[in-house]
This record gives sequence, C-alpha cells and structure tokens, in this order.
Amino acid sequence: MRRPLSRRRLLTVAAGTAALAALPVRPASAAREEELAYANFAVSSELLLADLYAKALAAKVVIGPGQAALRAGRRAAIQHAGALSGLLTGAGQDAPAAEDFDFQWPAKAFHTPDATAATARVVLRALLGAYQTAVVTVSEPSYGIVYTSLAASAGQQLGALSALGASGVVEPFPVALDLESASDTLEPYLG
Amino acid sequence: MRGRLLAIAGLVAVVASAWLTSGATARPSATPPLTIYAAASLTEVFKALDGAQHFSFAGSNALETQIRNGAPVDVFASAAPLNTQRLFKAGIVDKPVTFTANRLALIVPKSNPAGIRSIYDLRSKPVKLVVAAPAVPAGGYTLSVLRKMGLSSVLSKVVSRESDVKAVTGKVALGQADAGFVYVTDARPVSDQVSVIRIPAWAQPRVRYEIAVVTKSPNKTAAQAWVRMILSAKGQTALKHAGFLPLPKASS
Repeated sequence: MRRPLSRRRLLTVAAGTAALAALPVRPASAAREEELAYANFAVSSELLLADLYAKALAAKVVIGPGQAALRAGRRAAIQHAGALSGLLTGAGQDAPAAEDFDFQWPAKAFHTPDATAATARVVLRALLGAYQTAVVTVSEPSYGIVYTSLAASAGQQLGALSALGASGVVEPFPVALDLESASDTLEPYLG
Repeated sequence: MRGRLLAIAGLVAVVASAWLTSGATARPSATPPLTIYAAASLTEVFKALDGAQHFSFAGSNALETQIRNGAPVDVFASAAPLNTQRLFKAGIVDKPVTFTANRLALIVPKSNPAGIRSIYDLRSKPVKLVVAAPAVPAGGYTLSVLRKMGLSSVLSKVVSRESDVKAVTGKVALGQADAGFVYVTDARPVSDQVSVIRIPAWAQPRVRYEIAVVTKSPNKTAAQAWVRMILSAKGQTALKHAGFLPLPKASS
C-alpha cells in the first residue's frame, strides 16, 4: 500500500537521508514500538513546523534577520522530517507525508511578526518537550543521540524567534512532555 | 354519451394508475438493477444515494473472495486499495479509482462503563475491546494505528474480532464491549448510543476507498455510469454529508 514518491516527498526523504547519514544512528529494525511512536509523532510535527515556516515566509510580514531565521528553520524541519522518516521506513513502517495532513492555522497566525513567533513557539515547545522525553525513553543509544540533536535544534529555533521581533523567553528548565500531552497540544494544527 | 365519457375516464384512470405504480418508479433506461458489492462502512451512504440497485455490504476482504470465486457482480467498492488492486492485477476488475477517504476513531458506549477518555486509557484500564479481524480493512487500519502509537500491547484486551466494521459498531452500541475501533462514519448513525474518541491525526492510517467495474459485468455501461455518479458532485456531496473525507490530495 506504499505510494510512489512525489517530487516533494522525494526531496524531503533525500534531505533527511543525508542528514541521517551524518548521525551515528543504527538501522531501526530492532527499535521498540514505543520508540518508533515518538518518531511517528515527530515526523508529523516537523512537517507541521515546515508548513508553519512556509506560511510565515509567504505572509511576508517578517523581514531582515527574522526572514533568514524562518528560512533556516524551514530547512531544518524538512531535514528532520526526512531523517525521522528514514528511521520509520528502516523499521518497516510507512512514514507520514505532508499530503496526509490538512494543516490548520488560526486566522491571524501570520499577520504580525509577534503572532508568527507565538504560533511557532507553541509548536516548537511541544516538539522540544516530546524530544526531551524521547531521549530518556529510547533504549537504543544511537536513537538517544538523534533525539538529543533534534531537541537541541528545537531549542535553537526557539531562541531564533527573538529575531522575529518577539521578546525573548528563556526557560531555565523547558518542560518535558509525554507523547499524549505533546500530541494534544498539536492536534488542532494537524487537522 | 355520458356513459362513453365515463368509460374513457375509467380507462384513463386505469392507465394512469398502471403508469404510476410501475412506469414512474422504473429506471428510465429499463436496465436491470446493478449488483454492487461494497464495504460495510458504505452501507448508509450508498443506499441513500441510489436505492434502486442490489447491494451487498460486508468486509471488503470477504467481498473480494466472493468476486474472485465468480460471484455475479457489476461494481466493487472497497475500503482498502489492497482488495481492488489484487482483483485488478488478476484481470477480474477494470482499473480501480480512489473515490473517498475516511478516518478511524475509537468509540465507547454512551454510558462509558470503563471510563475511557483517551486512546491511551486502553493501556491502563481493564477494558473489553472489540476490533475488526486483521484481514478486514478496518482491522488492518486498527493494527496500524496501535503500532504507530506504540500501543499494540492493548490487543491483549481484545475480546472479539469481527468480520466487518458494522459488527464492531453494533457490539459497542449494544454495550457488549467497552470500546471498539471503527471509521468515524460508522459512529454517526449510532451517535445516540456511542461517544467518539478521536485518534490523533499523526497516527491515522491512510484510509482510501477504491471502486471498480467488474470486467465480466453484463451491465458494463450502466456500471461505468454508476461509478461516474459516485465520482460526480452528487456522489461526492453525499459522501461528504455522511462524514467521509474529500478525495485525497495525492489522488484527486
């Protein structure tokens, strides 16, 4: 029941595969189902994040360094989705694709730089929280390194939101979220 | 003269009555009704769309087997591409087309005796779970959801594996089970008896319905017209009203 790769999906997978190759991750065939659940959620959420950055860029309300941050964030999200898709397909699972979703955003989500930053913060906080929990849930050390790397990237992106003109928010201890809580946070956006 | 007028009036009445009782309800082309095999989840919407055909609703896997064994069928509508594609590869049906999509949901009886509020509750609470058999599309999709969410362990709580998704709906609606996995469209007709618990979008399987004309159908022209009707605005609107999803982006 696997679908042929669309050009968009092919590019995503290719970018992710390249990114994955740079990480010390082992084939996912031996991964536990609970570990792969995080990857399933994360692929979908990274695709959501890529859509958020694309919509924010299309809205053209963020200019200057903020725009560069949006572009960099989009590239990272696409690479993350591809890498996580690689983990899933390596374990014999179908990976979610952007075509599977009808992403929903609040009406004024991208009307101002502040609104854009606020929307991005919600998505990134949920992702970061899930990655933090994933790090301590997975039994395979190489997976732990992948999730640590993804958490660090989410943290960097949260920091970069200050370039959108939003006031910086520095949390000394970002809250780790279980899969159910992170999922509940993002469900309204995933459609 | 008056007698003649009465006789003519009587004749007109008889002819009109005969026309009203037969001609007016007959199909304009006078072709025989089509025999349509369709996934159980399409029961309400297909009957509402066109009550003039002969329908047989069941699990798509069972229908596939019957068609493979030579059942006289004109159109086959499956809840999973696997069933139609296998028949297409065997030369039994013409090229299938995707015509709608669906989502899976967890349903619980309105009284919710097991107190299930989330799919994750299946892990921690003692529940009697009912699912469709693995070969039935809804059963395969259920396994996919549980695997994606890391919840396959809850399969140990399954008390019954049904031959089609309507049987799952029925058991939960009657309170014979605490929870069951069905399509969201199955929950609608029994919304006064069951509550729906959403499955997260990221864990949803790709539920795609395909329809195909059976190659040896003796009513091929009518069968093709019926498939076109399902794909038309009329068919798609009816499916949407029943809760089905629009044609998927990749296949529309």
